[in-house]
Amino acid sequence: MAARIILSLLFVLALTATGAIAQSGSVKGTIKDAKTSDPVIGASILVKNTSRGTITDLDGNFELEASKNDVLVISYIGYKTTELTVGAQSVFDVMLETEDVILDQVVIVGYGAQRKVDITGATVSVKGEELSKQPVMTATQALQGKVAGVQIISSGRPGSSPNVRVRGTGTALAGTTALFVVDGVLTDDISNINTSEIVTMDVLKDASSTAIYGARGANGVVIITTKKGKSGVTRMNYNNFIGIRNAANLVRMANAEEYANYASAASGNLVPQGEYDTDWYGEILRNAFTHNHNFSLSGGSERTTHFLGFGYLEDEGIVLNNKFSRFNVRANTDYTINRKVSLGINTSFTHSDNKDVNLGAAYNNAYRAAPTIAGKVDGRYGNTSVYQNVGNAILDLSNNDNKLLQNRIQASGYLEYKPVSGLTLRSAIGTDVVNFSERRYNYQFLNDEVTFLNPGGNQRNPNSSLNVKNENSFRWVWDNIVTYSTAIGKNNLTVMAGTTAEAYSLAWALANRQNVPADNDLWYITTGNANTSTNDGSGDKWARNSYISRVNYNFDNKYIFTGTLRADGSSRIAPENRWGFFPSLGLGWVMTNEPFMKDMALFETLKLRASWGRVGNDRVPSDAFTVTVTPNLAYPFGGGIATPGSAITQIKDPNLKWETTEEFDLGLEYSMFKGRLYGEVGFYDKKSRDLLINVKVPAVVGDEDGVVLTNAASIRNTGLEFAANWRSRINDNSSYKIGGNITLNKNNVIGLNGGQPILDGGIGAGQIYTTRTDNGHPVGSFYVYQVLGVFQNAADIDGYVSSGGKVIQPNASPGDFKYQDTNDDGRIDDKDRVFVGSYQPKAYFGINAEYDYKAFSLSMDIYGNVGNYVYNGKKALRLSALDNVEKSLAYSRWTPGSGIQDEPAANSGYLPASTYYVESGSFVRINNVTLSYQLPGRLLSKAKIADGKVFVTGQNVFTLKKFTGFTPELPDDSPTRSGIETNAYPTTRTIAGGINISF
Amino acid sequence: MKTKKYLNAGLVISFLGLSACSSDFLNVPVQGKGTAATDPSLAENLVTGAYNTLISGDAFGSGDTHGIAFISVTNIMSDDADKGSTASDQIGIIGELDNFLHSPTNIFVGSLWSGHYSAIAKCNQALKALETATVDEATKKRWIGEVRFLRGYYYFNLVRWYGGVPAVLRVPESADDANKDDKFQTRASVDEIYNIIIEDLNFAVENTPLRNATQKGRINKGTAQAMLAKVYLYRKDWQKVFDLTSQVVASGQYNLLDKYEKIWRYEGDNSIESVFEIQTGVFNNTDYGVRGYCVWQGPRVGGKGGWTDLGFGFCTPTRELVNSYEPGDTRVNATVIKIDDSGMHKGTILYDGYRIPSKDSIENYFYNYKAYHSELKTLEPFLGNRDNKQKNVHILRYGDVLLMQAEAANELNNSGLAIANLNRLRNRAGLGDTSAAGGQPLRDAIWKERRYELAMEHDRFFDIVRQGRAAEIMQAAGKNFVKGKHELLPVPALQIELSGGRLTQNPGY
Repeated sequence: MAARIILSLLFVLALTATGAIAQSGSVKGTIKDAKTSDPVIGASILVKNTSRGTITDLDGNFELEASKNDVLVISYIGYKTTELTVGAQSVFDVMLETEDVILDQVVIVGYGAQRKVDITGATVSVKGEELSKQPVMTATQALQGKVAGVQIISSGRPGSSPNVRVRGTGTALAGTTALFVVDGVLTDDISNINTSEIVTMDVLKDASSTAIYGARGANGVVIITTKKGKSGVTRMNYNNFIGIRNAANLVRMANAEEYANYASAASGNLVPQGEYDTDWYGEILRNAFTHNHNFSLSGGSERTTHFLGFGYLEDEGIVLNNKFSRFNVRANTDYTINRKVSLGINTSFTHSDNKDVNLGAAYNNAYRAAPTIAGKVDGRYGNTSVYQNVGNAILDLSNNDNKLLQNRIQASGYLEYKPVSGLTLRSAIGTDVVNFSERRYNYQFLNDEVTFLNPGGNQRNPNSSLNVKNENSFRWVWDNIVTYSTAIGKNNLTVMAGTTAEAYSLAWALANRQNVPADNDLWYITTGNANTSTNDGSGDKWARNSYISRVNYNFDNKYIFTGTLRADGSSRIAPENRWGFFPSLGLGWVMTNEPFMKDMALFETLKLRASWGRVGNDRVPSDAFTVTVTPNLAYPFGGGIATPGSAITQIKDPNLKWETTEEFDLGLEYSMFKGRLYGEVGFYDKKSRDLLINVKVPAVVGDEDGVVLTNAASIRNTGLEFAANWRSRINDNSSYKIGGNITLNKNNVIGLNGGQPILDGGIGAGQIYTTRTDNGHPVGSFYVYQVLGVFQNAADIDGYVSSGGKVIQPNASPGDFKYQDTNDDGRIDDKDRVFVGSYQPKAYFGINAEYDYKAFSLSMDIYGNVGNYVYNGKKALRLSALDNVEKSLAYSRWTPGSGIQDEPAANSGYLPASTYYVESGSFVRINNVTLSYQLPGRLLSKAKIADGKVFVTGQNVFTLKKFTGFTPELPDDSPTRSGIETNAYPTTRTIAGGINISF
Repeated sequence: MKTKKYLNAGLVISFLGLSACSSDFLNVPVQGKGTAATDPSLAENLVTGAYNTLISGDAFGSGDTHGIAFISVTNIMSDDADKGSTASDQIGIIGELDNFLHSPTNIFVGSLWSGHYSAIAKCNQALKALETATVDEATKKRWIGEVRFLRGYYYFNLVRWYGGVPAVLRVPESADDANKDDKFQTRASVDEIYNIIIEDLNFAVENTPLRNATQKGRINKGTAQAMLAKVYLYRKDWQKVFDLTSQVVASGQYNLLDKYEKIWRYEGDNSIESVFEIQTGVFNNTDYGVRGYCVWQGPRVGGKGGWTDLGFGFCTPTRELVNSYEPGDTRVNATVIKIDDSGMHKGTILYDGYRIPSKDSIENYFYNYKAYHSELKTLEPFLGNRDNKQKNVHILRYGDVLLMQAEAANELNNSGLAIANLNRLRNRAGLGDTSAAGGQPLRDAIWKERRYELAMEHDRFFDIVRQGRAAEIMQAAGKNFVKGKHELLPVPALQIELSGGRLTQNPGY
């Protein structure tokens, strides 16, 4: 039976094959360059959906078998791919248009789209597939190394959003991150966006480009466009990746023997090695399973297009008990009602579920805990607390159960009306609704022998507790934009004007009870002891109103002028300073359109641009300029229930005003060798004035947290950016692409607004501050004692005298650090601190390469960062002689007679801030390596698959660094204290594989 | 055609008007926080908020007035108590203070400074609000008196720790204002600070009612008089000390409690002996008291363990203190929890029946009984929050008033009254009359009595500095005390730096 079926199948196949041959004939022709009419050698001609094809010879001629229904696909690097149906013709003379990466690219700019060639500012567009091939959680992280002038600093912390710094650090508040605009909706957080649904990410880098976003533009703007359907074809796509994540880099800690040896020396008592040898990081970390699935359906008719997407992502987390999952749905629909009216809606719903763990405590405790104490044995924990006052890290992760749920709906809709030719009225409303709920349960446990191997210590929780928090926020933005375009002769003019209004509101409520049963079905407030109820809640509101305008003028596609003006009003700035005006001007000259360059074949495009713009930053808390009263500071007169009281705990700056950034930008965009080489060279000079900074103030001012938000400093960033991309063909079967970009940046404080230098970066344990932001130095420069060496013996100590003959460190012991007495006053104090570099890199770069061989494609992304420094702060948080040390220290510490100069003798911590903790922050990393294989067309067509690909990928594959801590990438919300590693989250490495198929 | 153009122009203009808003749109009030404009009882609330500063104890963070930083620089630094706990625990912060190895970067040196100035700022905020408050004049003056007492008390602590400090008596308009006003950035002299204290306390004496005419725990005339007497004690103005203490005695509002040990129990809260006592209670359904006061000083597990301990075991009475009480002095048993080290494993039974195991399960030999608060809910209120136990902290009590009066009387050659006062305290403690008759022997006897009567009550270190005996006593106790330096704490390094170097450092640091 089976044999008969096979036979009939073969017969059918044979018939089909003969049929095809019967109808085919020879097709031939010549392929030429449309501009120069030179023959194109080696161009590929392929019959669509088959593997039949050929290439042109030295004269540009080709010949192959094809039937009249076949479609020929003609392609060559540097030229636009052309398709033609064979039909009755048998000889073809094809003129290939050069593909111009600059001229043809359409870039999304604020409130509109423009041809790249018409843009006078610095913008870069990154394609979605460049981002989605990387198995990372957010698109921002995938942007690392792709764009000159954009620095992405990401930590290994799950669910965290990376810092995006565009052209150096120009601002200091939480607003160091760029503004994101997702299909017209302004947001600060894009962790809800599924990377595989992104078509492009357009990065607006300079002030002239971002000035259209006025008070939001100071940190650069990233515009995200999500996928839309195309009329005609209905396409389905499924893609996934499945992989394993683990810690990319760990700090090796001393083992029991090394520890006992060091701790004995540090404490002066014999510390026994004991029976256990616990690797604390090993105990709390694991290989995590991660997988991601996306399914989409897109298509449309003549008047309607749609895109539907579903995604599910799950990441187990490299830390015990941690887990993150995200489900998202997207529906983007566009309708064309008639020639004049069109409308559309983009909606995205995201549900994320984060099983959060107490990472900070666990990592910190794992760093300090003695390896001689057991981790967990037969269900009971080793008691690190009773031994050395440090919690058991495994217990830190398992004594609680937390669930953080977020539902977020981001939706935008527009209505477009074109009453007459050239005039477009567009009204768009965007909304962002976030519902966040948090449930944190802490198990009851005592420091007894039920929980621990031996009782005692401070790690205990006598009463179970349940915390429930609910937070709702709603943001809307309404843009009404009028655009008018006209062309009179060689003059092309586009004028845009509009108004926008935006408002935000948030409310949260928190409830807490104790003695809630440990059964998770009972984790609701009602089951707890009502007499222990506590609650809290608050909210926030703000609003903005803006007027925007832009003029684009282009003469003969040679001379380009852009001017924009935005007026912004923000409720977050005091009424006197409430309105800000943000203008910009830009000029462009497309030299290749000049007659004298018209015949130069070298360049496809050469464009010079210069621009200037001013932008602002209003990202301060809503109550920044209003003196508010903190309630609930009660006092119980005569005992019992306390009388509510309140206090003014925060000093406010009533004169708070905009932070403004002015930037001058100069750029040269080029495309040459028939588009095989293209890129940009840029220069910028950016001055950020009246920076809003939380400045440490003297305690006498009376601010409880000791910091006051004020316009405290001015910073200048100057830099050069280079980007070059080269693509070429090696032979018929293989081609390659390589792109690189590098940014050189210089950051300097150029004014302190009459205030004191800003001290920051305190890490406790006596190191109250470690950085100083002062005139002439980069923001947040490390400011510490200079270590000169280690005192080898008593004579060394006595011999270390000032020029006045005073013994400088009389209380030192051999093995202690010798610090530089910078002011030569015979003592070591704060006046001896010196500047020793900052976290601001001198340069950062990315290299992106791809090699294609037949159906295989291998790509690699490299990112690096040089010339900056990081502070190994966790080393300073060793608080006792019994705390563990790094393995290297167990061997490299000073001992009498060793002559060691760079490590002190075994000690119990509490060393002052010094160059000992300052290390190089330079690193180079292979961010991503991907190998993919295009499934053969024949195989696919049988399975009715239009396109299919399988791939394996590695993220964060290898890092070359000098830093001895976990990671030199240390995001922080304020640049006056960035680059300090205290509770470090190990960055993760991911190895994953997956498929991508379209039907 | 033309009409159509106008129509289009009209359309464009009205379209743009859609999201242009009125200026009210941008007047968004602050959410969830009252402002001076929206809180009708602001002044009264700020007065309560000023009292609230008494329970602050964030020694590692924003500031401390009576938490572990306060405990460290009063009891632990003196010869009454050691650091305690395990040898290594907090060696870098508390250990340094205990042994006079501290530098201007010591965290507690910083958090006491900021805790006190934050408290003073809250007093100044309340005083500013009271200027314009719409309450009757008598209430207003009383509240001003209470707040000025608190401010005076904080300056009294500051001047004793740091010497002359910046005299901040108003709310700065902004950080910039404070930066430009030298008063905020430079140190006033010790005399200037004392004048401020005396002025503040005098105002409180004149404008607050007698104890029985006001709420328990509120500052009253007696509190202010007794505190002012103590201030004059440090100024050696014996007549003023004598007059003020005599007024307190004559007010009839105070007496000694019959049993010494009851003072530190719940039943002794706001007793007849209480003059200035930090109040504790319940707020938001949880214990509300001085942060960390009990848990830092609670007995700590050690050795072979086997029990759930009560705290971190800091501020342990010194063996020298315990052993130097006169035989028969019952006060030692009210001051010190002695751990059973007999080998018989009897443990130590506390007044609430709680049994503390013997030495082989416990870290230290002695603990501060005056900081113990029962967790037996039927005996003393406790809702389970060990960090903020409802343990009132006794800053000034009638026993101290009698000792101050005795000392002044002796200096004014009224040794009869001095001896009588001394004997009242000695007799309560189960001791016989003093043998000192007057002059230096009686002065020594009073000083000695102060130590045992007020042991672990945050007075000892201030007292021996006042008496000019600090170097001698501290050195005898084996501490690293340098005369002429360690009488004062250093000015916090960060504060000097933040003042742009305008604040000066204390000698020797």
